[in-house]
Amino acid sequence: MVDFFQNTIDGVMIGSSYGLLALGFTVIFGVMRRLNLSYGPSIMIGGYLGTVLYLNHGAGPLVVAGAVVLGAAIAGVYVERLCFAPMKAGAGIASMVSSFAIWMQLEQAAILVLPRHTYPFPPLATGATLEFGPFFVRIDHLIMLVCALGLAAAVQVTLYRTRFGLALRAIIGHPVAAHLVGINVRRAMLLAFAAASAIGGVAGFLVLAVDQQVTPMFGMWATLKGLIAMMIGGLGSVPGAVVGGLLLGVIETHSQWYFGPQFRDLIAYVVLFAFLVARPGGLFGRAPSPDITTPQKA
Amino acid sequence: MDFYFGLIQIIGVHTLLGLSAYCVLLTGQVSLAQAGFFAIGAYVAGMLTVIAQWPLVPALGVSALVAGATACAVGFPALRVKGLMLVVATVAFGEAVRLFFFNFTYQVQAGNIRLGPHGGEGFRQIRYFPENGWTTLDVMLFIWAVVALVMAGLWWLNRSRAGAVLRAVGEDELAAQSTGINITAVKISAMTVGGVIAGIGGGIFAHYTTHIEHVQFGVVLATFAIAYPILGGLSNVFGTLLAVIFIQGFLIEGLRFMGDWRNLLFGGLIVLAMNVRPRGLLDAGAMLALKRLFFSRKERSDA
Repeated sequence: MVDFFQNTIDGVMIGSSYGLLALGFTVIFGVMRRLNLSYGPSIMIGGYLGTVLYLNHGAGPLVVAGAVVLGAAIAGVYVERLCFAPMKAGAGIASMVSSFAIWMQLEQAAILVLPRHTYPFPPLATGATLEFGPFFVRIDHLIMLVCALGLAAAVQVTLYRTRFGLALRAIIGHPVAAHLVGINVRRAMLLAFAAASAIGGVAGFLVLAVDQQVTPMFGMWATLKGLIAMMIGGLGSVPGAVVGGLLLGVIETHSQWYFGPQFRDLIAYVVLFAFLVARPGGLFGRAPSPDITTPQKA
Repeated sequence: MDFYFGLIQIIGVHTLLGLSAYCVLLTGQVSLAQAGFFAIGAYVAGMLTVIAQWPLVPALGVSALVAGATACAVGFPALRVKGLMLVVATVAFGEAVRLFFFNFTYQVQAGNIRLGPHGGEGFRQIRYFPENGWTTLDVMLFIWAVVALVMAGLWWLNRSRAGAVLRAVGEDELAAQSTGINITAVKISAMTVGGVIAGIGGGIFAHYTTHIEHVQFGVVLATFAIAYPILGGLSNVFGTLLAVIFIQGFLIEGLRFMGDWRNLLFGGLIVLAMNVRPRGLLDAGAMLALKRLFFSRKERSDA
């Protein structure tokens, strides 16, 4: 029983990183209705920027964190300008393919800067643990959970309590109508994209600090985990993103415990598939809404 | 010369992969499960020729059937959702297939070596072609005979009533449904045909590389599969072929001299192509222009 609860705690902790990744994803998808495959690779670019500063200039964790967030946001803006802003409404698939191409570009750029497979990343709190009775919690995991909840609250407040959030929700509801009432749709989309990538950057920094290493594979990992957590939680739902991430983490740790590590991802994917089919809107989602494969009008 | 034969083989197999995604895309569905069907085809055909000692063509037939049946079985639940949900559901399926083969071991003793898939180490020694004395040229011709057959079949399908039904569902589901088309049946049929083509492609792939392992069938391959028809355009099967030649022949092999910088340019060129031609390289307009060029007839309204 102790094992079961310890696993659940570990799952929640690991899941908070998935929740953070899903948070950025859900902002992009909510506003754009398009799939950004370069989301993870943008974060990886931030991670590489942080590593370069750490290796060459001995930067501390705070500077590295800032660099990761900034790098992810800049890479996100680059992706938005090339793959999303120029594509007309209805060409969502073209955006997806373009973002895939940029993914390969970003991955190669990272390899050009730092050609070895793995590089060290500064730890946040070197594996220190807290004890609650029979249970253990790593401090850096706890920071991750707090950040996930805090950022989710911040995004929720921004969306529902500020003018910018109102503008974004207007665009989510109906982009043309939002444009007609004087909202600068393109600028709002760019800002939302940059902010979402920056949230991804926070997630990336925390995950990399726990792993203490960065590889070019991180981009794909982040895209997949963020996507899955977002889909479980429900499209465009902020609380859904966090809950979906936590749930994914719990499913993964339990299947690893009971079936072994080689079955962890397999079971996570099977559960995801079943979930999508049984409840397409996700836990917190509304009815499926028009998105990337809406028929393209010539 | 063998280098060029090898390249033409790669283009042929990737064309099959792209065409399998093309079938599904015609109905407006973005499926990233094609790499999974491709993997099933590869493992089934490989096990049949290596362990059961079957000849190649029946083995490919069975791999096509198994992959098609899987696609049909997956299509029933998966096609209840569409758009991004389908993209993610099919990613989940494709990755589940890949991870299944990561854990899948079935080996038999043959002389002093063990043959068959061996989990994470993959499936080595699929040596049907060298054992039966096929030269690279023979293999290339065989692959392209299959590609030509599949393309001819799809070309015919495209111009038949079935093609019109597929496109109707792809353009506007609601309108298609209101004219009495059973859209679920249409989508599942398209998925099944796509699975059959991917199964054949995977079976051939296993035999010309002689060694397959699970990492080859990941999300990247699935995205390539879907990128070919989107980049090439959906107006006919040659768009996919053109895109495969563009990506595999020009962007990957042609730019190899650029070394590490290749992928940077690769990404840039695809983004450029999608910006200039969001409906693909060979879209309806380009086909019309080509038609005018080669047949100086009056323009036909159905082009």
